[in-house]
Amino acid sequence: MAENLIEARKITKVYPDGTQALFEVDFAVQAGEVHGLLGENGAGKSTLTKILSGLLSPTSGTILWKGKKVRFGSPREALKAGIGMVHQHFALVGPYTGLENIALGAEGVRILGPVRTRWIGKKVENIMDRSGLRVPLDVPVEDLPVGVQQRLEILKVLVREVELLILDEPTAVLTPQEVDELFSVLRSLASLGKSVVLITHKLREVLEVTDRVTVLRHGKLVTVRPTRETSLEELASSMVGREMPRMRGRTNRSGGKEVLRVENLVVPGVGGKPAVRGVSFSVHEGEILGVAGVQGNGQTELVEAMVGLRPWTGKVELNGKSLAGLGPAQVAALGLAHIPEDRQGMGLILPFSVAENAVLGKLRPFTDRVGGLRWRKIFRSTADLIQRFSVQTSGPRAQARSLSGGNQQRLVVGRELSKAPELLIANQPTRGLDIAATHYIRETLLKLRDEGLALLLISADLDEIFELSDRVAVMYNGTFTGISPVEKLDRERVGLLMGGLTFEEARG
Amino acid sequence: MNILIDVLPVALRAMVPITLAAVGEIFTERAGVVNIGLEGIMTLSAFIAGVGSWATRDPWLGVLAGLATGAVLGLVHGFISVCLRGNQVVSGVGINLLGMGAVGFGAWALWGAKSPMLDHSFWVPGISLWGVNFSPFVIMTPVVVAFTWLVLHKTALGLRVRAVGEAPVAADVVGIHVNRLRLWATVYGGALGGLAGAFLSLDWLHTISPTLPAGRGFIALANVVFSKLNPFLALVGGFLFGYFDALAIHLASVAGFGGALPYQFIRTIPYLVTLVVVALAIGRARFPAALGQPYRRE
Repeated sequence: MAENLIEARKITKVYPDGTQALFEVDFAVQAGEVHGLLGENGAGKSTLTKILSGLLSPTSGTILWKGKKVRFGSPREALKAGIGMVHQHFALVGPYTGLENIALGAEGVRILGPVRTRWIGKKVENIMDRSGLRVPLDVPVEDLPVGVQQRLEILKVLVREVELLILDEPTAVLTPQEVDELFSVLRSLASLGKSVVLITHKLREVLEVTDRVTVLRHGKLVTVRPTRETSLEELASSMVGREMPRMRGRTNRSGGKEVLRVENLVVPGVGGKPAVRGVSFSVHEGEILGVAGVQGNGQTELVEAMVGLRPWTGKVELNGKSLAGLGPAQVAALGLAHIPEDRQGMGLILPFSVAENAVLGKLRPFTDRVGGLRWRKIFRSTADLIQRFSVQTSGPRAQARSLSGGNQQRLVVGRELSKAPELLIANQPTRGLDIAATHYIRETLLKLRDEGLALLLISADLDEIFELSDRVAVMYNGTFTGISPVEKLDRERVGLLMGGLTFEEARG
Repeated sequence: MNILIDVLPVALRAMVPITLAAVGEIFTERAGVVNIGLEGIMTLSAFIAGVGSWATRDPWLGVLAGLATGAVLGLVHGFISVCLRGNQVVSGVGINLLGMGAVGFGAWALWGAKSPMLDHSFWVPGISLWGVNFSPFVIMTPVVVAFTWLVLHKTALGLRVRAVGEAPVAADVVGIHVNRLRLWATVYGGALGGLAGAFLSLDWLHTISPTLPAGRGFIALANVVFSKLNPFLALVGGFLFGYFDALAIHLASVAGFGGALPYQFIRTIPYLVTLVVVALAIGRARFPAALGQPYRRE
């Protein structure tokens, strides 16, 4: 058996606010293996890897690095020792070129001397040749697609000659094809003798690329297994702690009357370049239209334009009424409700109470003649909402901030539905939620559809798209590369469309 | 119309404080810290420079005292906004008020007057080149500009400073001490503000007063916007603002003209120009992404 490169023993972490993130967790990675770290949101994966990479220090427990006890006070100490982490949010300097980003912090000998670009460039070329990672080095990284930025992040760490590479949910922002490329890079790194820790909550990825897998749940170690001795079902139940909740079978319905009609919608983005470039579609009663696509291909702008937050040109009609020139309040009054993608920034006002959040944007019935708020009525209606959407909270007076992500989203969904909408736009409705909350939200959306509501679902999660949608549109670079009934699609085809291929190309 | 040429020597001097303070502020802002306390730094540094020159009988030691004062005030601002993660605007306003108050008090205490004139022996001597008498500061300013630009854009240090202002997380991850670097950048910016202050009292205006910079600290901030954080453009901007400053001084003193318009109106010219330039330039300037945000590791 290979020796452990790093070994964490009985790691416990209690955050200053009293949250216990990890409880006596053992974790070990061998040299030259790809090790999956699997768990739900809040299982403690990130906390554990932040401890290994020096960002956090454990409350108790020891870490052995190559058999020696170590304590990293900062990421730079861990990096020096040979542990590098690629975070979910890239740590890149946007206006810098790839080479400058790689050089940063390792520029040369003298701090007032010039940056040794040639020397570093040669080193990077060498690593690119060996690992198969290819990145343009002379372009500002903010102009590169996220997949390439991620490769740059990995290169940046490799140049520092790390032996352990930790990747935090690296596939969240990638197309399926980019995921394949990433995985083959990870395999080739392992064959070069490097160790890789892959943090994920996606079972398929664990089975595809890892040698061994560690499963965490609620801050505790559940199991460590060689990947080939385990199965999808086994991993799923050890991750969730019970059988996976089953989605109810979808009853496909032919849509009713057309509720939303969008023709040739163009939305300017940052710097005047259009973010949405001529999109046309319609949504019918009792139908979910799913918009798939990697984040940042115009979905945000599309939604914000329709709900009145951005100027646009083209035609948008809700039940035959044009939305041209209307602001958010007027659009909402016509019956368009919106579950925003940024729950905490746009969906809720976190320092406000649950009750205050529950009536945001629909104060009219709760206001008396002189403009005062009718609190008793607000609390009654909020208590009703809390019950109907099973929001876990200490009561209507609790701060929205105190709710967990899942309960915050229940609150947003409840509020939007209480507006009795004609059309509901759900933008990434389950991003970052745990499995139970995700399940609840998806069930709710399906129920609404069955009751005849028209829904527009925007999601970067392909599973979600396939579970919920009646029809699927794929968004790439501001346009729909295809729109089709869900039965006629499979994951691979959608993946190709997400990567910018046209329908015809994806078919071939 | 020889006025436009006549004011050139004054314009070159007027350029100095606006450029020096702006270039220092550019360095500070590149690292992600805003210091709107330049006016206060210049006021207090001008005073301490005057006191230093008076006490040591050496104007250059006075200049050094002014520079050190600016550095210390930069350190104070850096400590508050970087280490304590305080509000940078509040800290900057505090330094402005401190400068004004301390100098008002100090000038009374030492000279018994609010705006004492400095005797000729305290002045920084001029340098004679090609038969023309130059202020050493006029020569020093472009050198400081070039030096700052070189450091920012051609050295490892500069790469780090700009990274810390754009993406502190990215810098931290690769082992750069974000807050330490920001603190030093703020000190450098303060020191150049102090140099500007010393110039005001020991070389140009030969007096000390709680309102000595007369808004030039704020015009320097406008110059930062105008320059889009490029030191060389700040030199151009400094000359531009300085030129209007000098023009106003000249026009206000010209007999006849001064009678036609109250001189107070003419003296508003540089400030109006500043307003217009900032209004035109501010949309096009691109500031560091993390400007004004304290950094704390999650």
